[in-house]
Amino acid sequence: MLKLLLAFLTLTLPFLAHSFSPDHPTDRRVLVLLDDLAVKSSHSLFFKTLQSRGFDLDFKLADDPKIGLQRYGQYTYDALILFSPTVDRFGGSIDLAAILDFVDTGHDLIIAADTNASDLIRQISVECGVDFDEDPSAMVIDHTSYAVSDSEGDHTLIASDDFISSDVILGSKKIEASSILDNAPVLFKGIGHTINSENSLVLKVLSASPSAYSANPNSKLSSPPSLTGSSISLVSVVQARNNARVLISGSLSMFSDRFFRSKVQKAGSPDKHEKSANEQFLTELSKWVFHERGHLKAVNVRHHKVGEADEPAIYRINDDVEYSIEIYEWHGKSWEPYVADDVQVQFYMMSPYVLKTLSTDKKGNYFTAFKVPDVYGVFQFKVEYHRLGYTSVALSKQIPVRPFRHNEYERFIPAAYPYYGAAFTMMTGFFVFTVVHLYNK
Amino acid sequence: MVKPSSSSSSTSQDALALFNSLRSAYSATPTALKIIDLYVGFAVSTAIIQVVYMALVGSFPFNSFLSGVLSCIGTAVLAVCLRIQVNKENKEFKDLAPERAFADFVLCNLVLHLVIMNFLG
Repeated sequence: MLKLLLAFLTLTLPFLAHSFSPDHPTDRRVLVLLDDLAVKSSHSLFFKTLQSRGFDLDFKLADDPKIGLQRYGQYTYDALILFSPTVDRFGGSIDLAAILDFVDTGHDLIIAADTNASDLIRQISVECGVDFDEDPSAMVIDHTSYAVSDSEGDHTLIASDDFISSDVILGSKKIEASSILDNAPVLFKGIGHTINSENSLVLKVLSASPSAYSANPNSKLSSPPSLTGSSISLVSVVQARNNARVLISGSLSMFSDRFFRSKVQKAGSPDKHEKSANEQFLTELSKWVFHERGHLKAVNVRHHKVGEADEPAIYRINDDVEYSIEIYEWHGKSWEPYVADDVQVQFYMMSPYVLKTLSTDKKGNYFTAFKVPDVYGVFQFKVEYHRLGYTSVALSKQIPVRPFRHNEYERFIPAAYPYYGAAFTMMTGFFVFTVVHLYNK
Repeated sequence: MVKPSSSSSSTSQDALALFNSLRSAYSATPTALKIIDLYVGFAVSTAIIQVVYMALVGSFPFNSFLSGVLSCIGTAVLAVCLRIQVNKENKEFKDLAPERAFADFVLCNLVLHLVIMNFLG
């Protein structure tokens, strides 16, 4: 019996945890590191939305000495949520390098910082391309687009609705209040950050309004604040080149039940929303971060000559080629056909000789036909598809192209008959001349 | 002062005289050389016909065009060479037997037509 169990374990152990991959997109285990176990209940709505989507959450204190991301060289978790803004050192084997390795191997990460965020959390964010305000007691303050509140008068509770315009990141359903049809804002209370403009992998998802600034709300402003205006990002996402996704928020409380359920009225606006957009915003964003949306896979790359089915090892110049590929998007439970009209294929040798937009049958199948250029050499079929919010599709397949063989040229061209005739006339003429010349004497 | 009409008539008379003297001089040419001249003329006119044809239809099978024209030109050149060598008046080749010159001519023609057939495509 024990033997059987052991055999079962050794067989299933490699399949217990994976980063997102086309073969193992489901059954994902998430490690949640908390400063205080009270967060588990105060932020329960957010955790429940994850659990209801089939994620297995493992709550641990951040300084628990037994935590670790790996065991025997295998990752035991697929994603990591850091709801521990003040932790200086993680317990167990987790440290900065371990978390970066975790992301480098394609795993996902959610970081929520807050005022007094520790250096460790800041360092992790910097490695992801996000710089939090260096002043530890600074908060984002906005005197024009704050949320009206009875208890708080320092305008640090911000009502922001400056979202990134991307359906794939935020979901196609408009973020709106449950009762009123117009857009409800997202409540935010925490520290702001900036993103490096040269880093194309980081995206501002929720920006502060132009009137926002980052400063300590309890002290008088003696010098101009370092972060101002809409360059302040409240929530950012990163999609690394290995398709690992990272969500970085400057506020832990925006994930809380209180903010999820809070009524909200933006200053200067007569609309009172029954519910903030936090729940929908963060749910949709977590779907994106955990690859339930915007993850593409390209399969069945095929190319062949027109009229043939088999893939040749080499093409000849001027061959007519058909190229087809299937692209699917993960929708949380199944792979659905991806529909777009801007997927292109290149026939590439140092530079694209052919660049064609693929036609699609709306069932995930993309195809086109083109003529191999009149140039021989080693070519590549290349598909480079990079779109905001989608994982990048980069495929290349090498194929040589040869010139005509000696016996493949056209023969007996009608237009050339006069030339053939002339050549043979000259031969006959030579023969006749020889005879005449010899017997003339 | 010379009248224009007499001038033009004297020019045409000069041309006629020149042409007549040329014809009488050429009639003295041996028949063997005349045959060679006929052969050269035939080759050159065939070449010209092909060039005109190419100008009309375009140069698509360019290798065929080249081999067709070059076979005519080559034939004409070789025939002219033969004519130079077998001409009795030409003292430069007086040591060369006309049979030897003809043998060279035949050999060169064979090589020429071999190349032309390869290139005709």
